[in-house]
Amino acid sequence: MSNRLKTGGYHLAMGLVSFLWVAPILWVVVISFRSFDDVAANGLGSLPHSFTFSTYVQAWQDADEFRALVNSLLVTIPAVLLSLGLASIAAYGLARYNIPFRRTVLLLMLMGNLLPPQILLIPISRFVELIGYYDTLIALIAVHVGFGLGFYTFVLHGFMRDLPKEIQEAATIDGAGPGKIFASVILPLTRPALAALGALSFTWIFNDLLWSITVIRSGDKMPVTPALLGLQGLFVSSWNVIAAGTVIAAVPTVAVFLKFQKHFVGGLAIGAVK
Amino acid sequence: MAPDRRTFLKGLGALGAAALVPGCATSTTSSGGGGGSATGEIALQSNLSAEQAKAAMEKLVEAYNKTGGGTVKLNTVASEIFRTQLPTYLTSANPPDVYTWYAGSVANSYAEKDLLLDVTSVWDSMGNYPKSMQTLSTSAAGAKIFVPTSYYWWGMFYRKSNFAKWGVTPPKTWAEFVQVCEKIQAQGIPPIGIGLGDTPWVASAWFDYLNIRINGAPFHRDLLAGKGDFTDPKVKAVFTKWREVLPYFDPKGKSFPFQEATSALLGGKTGMFLIGTFFADSAPKDALDDIDFFQFPIIDPKVPVAEEAPTDGYFASKKAKDPEAVKKFLTYLATPEAQELYVQNSSGTAIPANPDGKAADTPLVAKGKAMVNSAAELTQFFNRDSSDALQPTADAALTKFLDKPDQIDQILEDWQAAASKVFQA
Repeated sequence: MSNRLKTGGYHLAMGLVSFLWVAPILWVVVISFRSFDDVAANGLGSLPHSFTFSTYVQAWQDADEFRALVNSLLVTIPAVLLSLGLASIAAYGLARYNIPFRRTVLLLMLMGNLLPPQILLIPISRFVELIGYYDTLIALIAVHVGFGLGFYTFVLHGFMRDLPKEIQEAATIDGAGPGKIFASVILPLTRPALAALGALSFTWIFNDLLWSITVIRSGDKMPVTPALLGLQGLFVSSWNVIAAGTVIAAVPTVAVFLKFQKHFVGGLAIGAVK
Repeated sequence: MAPDRRTFLKGLGALGAAALVPGCATSTTSSGGGGGSATGEIALQSNLSAEQAKAAMEKLVEAYNKTGGGTVKLNTVASEIFRTQLPTYLTSANPPDVYTWYAGSVANSYAEKDLLLDVTSVWDSMGNYPKSMQTLSTSAAGAKIFVPTSYYWWGMFYRKSNFAKWGVTPPKTWAEFVQVCEKIQAQGIPPIGIGLGDTPWVASAWFDYLNIRINGAPFHRDLLAGKGDFTDPKVKAVFTKWREVLPYFDPKGKSFPFQEATSALLGGKTGMFLIGTFFADSAPKDALDDIDFFQFPIIDPKVPVAEEAPTDGYFASKKAKDPEAVKKFLTYLATPEAQELYVQNSSGTAIPANPDGKAADTPLVAKGKAMVNSAAELTQFFNRDSSDALQPTADAALTKFLDKPDQIDQILEDWQAAASKVFQA
């Protein structure tokens, strides 16, 4: 009996906590279905007095959200693939071979991640301009790859280091070189970590705003986050349309998360146990 | 040392990505720099990202391109991004040619860094513009650097039906204003609405208006340009006057932004609201007919009447690829036709800067235009008359004053200290 009470209490408490987490999202969804006059007359916090789908149409057209989403994916997918590819190569070398100063190299890569990105805004914008890639999606991909590399290498290094030595030795005896071992043995074994990191980096890069506005100037090349910002007026913003745009923009990341959910939860523990 | 490594890494990343993903290049190589080089195409960088304003800009550019005078490519970015990135745009090696921005000291600060194109020749066709606009568009060095195209006004807005219900009439003098406040207060409604959460700069309107009513526009401008002192007794007089009406401010106003304060005004939860005409964009359309405004009350009749009329327009980069084409475009923007086209298609409360341009045909706009035209002096707004760097010092001081009006001496000292840091920077 008391056990049942305990379980019931637990579920009630956890239900309340999860409601607290979900409430802001629900609020955004509710606002996205309200009309502008309703929001203006009753305020954002009031209960809805109207129901409309036109906000979604408006967001899709005014923010040019289709193009913005295409831009976002054009940046996110290559950046994720490239940074994870490079990071896994680096991690393989650092974790499986006795490279001199490998600890220093790893620490250096991590150190970069401790710097606040804000202080690098101007150097990066100037540098990208200098090499002639300002206002291109390539520049944005490069920035994301550069920034992700340190952290991804660190995580993958931790994971690869824990793979049993015997597997690699067996492969060596069978005549496989370092490249072959990496591609056929280590990489397949690292898949859970890669999937988790992939889901994580996808959201990070997809949701980035700072770097896109630093290296991109043309409205038609902006990814989806600055495009949403563009829905805000100088003084007055149609929050219902912005909410609708946000809901649309959340779809790809949610989809990726659902797809990789299992790996993601499993991957959270990566590198936690030595 | 560390940033160097990062930059280096970034360089490697950039080169690596450039080499590894040529597939993406195809989608991004078109007009890479933001401006056509020798094609005569002008890149116009616009911060007018609100739905209507953006559509109006598109129509305007389309109309110009049809005249055959040149080709303009409009690039609209979110106003918030534009504001933070404008210095980067202007100092980049291949900047956009023309920008939407504000007249006055903000434009002048870029001119002082030698970033703006001298557009004196454009002004040859703008002889009918009032003197005040000329002054606003001239840099400290004496060159014309700005082309004003529209302005709006600030006033004490209220709902006609509510004023009728409460039995009050729009006041003209400070004493009458205080009476109106008392009457509305007696009905259990906070007389003066304000919205300072997220938009603390709205309080600067009170400071601006009290200062230009008590001390006059020249003193106000000097103070904001760093030629005065916030601990001056004349500045303290502003706050002494402000304290007289402080009990009538909506106590909830500190917690929500001015958009919500607009809702409060329209919902009859506050009596009146000192705000710029842009607030009308956040009002439901059916409430707009019931809205009227009165001029900020006269405090000292001896002080020449000044009004806040923030002026918007365009300036061009000094590095514009084809300065003649840019000037031609700016000349077009200065015409009444171009300004009417914009005003008609945008939200409608802006007034064309060209005196021959017709504003929207509503009683409200006519009244606003008449008020601005009859003013002896024009000011812009706190940040436009000073700088975006000085605005936060005002926000801090004014918010604190609204909370703790009895600490005014300390607040003014702090404000002066913060402001002098800004001016020395």
